[in-house]
Amino acid sequence: MYLVAHIDQAICSETACRLCTQYCPEANTILYDNAAKTAFVAVDRCKGCEICVGICDDLAKHHAIKMIMITDLKSTFELSKEGFRPDKWDGNHP
Amino acid sequence: MSVKNISITPGWEKYMTKEYLDLVERGPYGKQKKVSEMGSFKEVLEEHPMCAGCAMTLFIRLTMVGLPNPEHTVLIGTAGCGRLALTQTSIPFIYGNYGDTNAVASGLKRGLEVRFKDQAKDVVVMAGDGGLADIGFSAVMHSWFRKERFTTIMLDNEVYGNTGGQESGMTERGALLKMAPKGKMFEKMDMIGLAQTSGVAYIARLTPTNPTRVASVVRKAVLIAREVGPTFIQAYTSCNIEYAIPTPKVLDDARDIEAKRYGFMEIISDEAKAYLDSIDTAKKAKK
Repeated sequence: MYLVAHIDQAICSETACRLCTQYCPEANTILYDNAAKTAFVAVDRCKGCEICVGICDDLAKHHAIKMIMITDLKSTFELSKEGFRPDKWDGNHP
Repeated sequence: MSVKNISITPGWEKYMTKEYLDLVERGPYGKQKKVSEMGSFKEVLEEHPMCAGCAMTLFIRLTMVGLPNPEHTVLIGTAGCGRLALTQTSIPFIYGNYGDTNAVASGLKRGLEVRFKDQAKDVVVMAGDGGLADIGFSAVMHSWFRKERFTTIMLDNEVYGNTGGQESGMTERGALLKMAPKGKMFEKMDMIGLAQTSGVAYIARLTPTNPTRVASVVRKAVLIAREVGPTFIQAYTSCNIEYAIPTPKVLDDARDIEAKRYGFMEIISDEAKAYLDSIDTAKKAKK
């Protein structure tokens, strides 16, 4: 089992910093829903480096991102299954 | 190598992969995407096998956002870590032999200028410090002396990360590495100074601590290389494996090195500055 980044959307949607989307080394891994104003993670692409956690805690000071065991996630968003379709995002991200 | 080449022949959409469809429909082609829009458009970089938390990957990802016209760009690389991600982009990539990246780029750029007279094509060399400063050194220097119009980007991780940690010309003096157990005995090569001496039109040295700055520096370098002359970017992209940096600390290390010795530096020739200004004026006039 392994850790993946998980974003608390209640905290994230209060801000509009988008820093984690810019500092993640993986492409299209932390996605941003413009309608719901929140970032969320495509877990199939997350390599668990924790850079986003440092960015959210130290640079943005929002403390919205935690590392979490993949098995502890109730539901997951996987880019390889869903594809990159912002028009289909309804604001309910895992 | 144009939007037309990337778009799908009508009727063949159902045979294309999801990733490709996304790229054509929601990719960055035809419009200059900003760093602040990352996460809400499909990037030209796909999944890749580079290590978790690699600063070089972050730099490459930001570079791809900074490219002014990804559909009219050709990348050239060589053996090293960078090519693992560069080959996973939807931009044509030429795998140069070790040492000849800038020679290949010179010929390619000249050929493209003859073949496509009314469409500017960008050639970008992206290779490691070993590929450019050690093994490719002579081709790099001569392409600058000849004022070849393309961009050279050095992914300076200060080590041969791909082959087990040998010292490179760009390693800091005294650095202890697996294959340099006594510490490096010589100074880090001054590539910026060499670039200045060779008359490179735009030189920049930076770390990936500021995403917007990385994209804007790349954009400037590629635009200047179109019309004015050679451009050079030296980017600190730490190797968290060989330098044993825990991945959550990769950006702290980059900030630390930036503050201590790397800094952000930009050297721009008068001609290049005038060219950039003319682009800005033309853009404003359009609005």
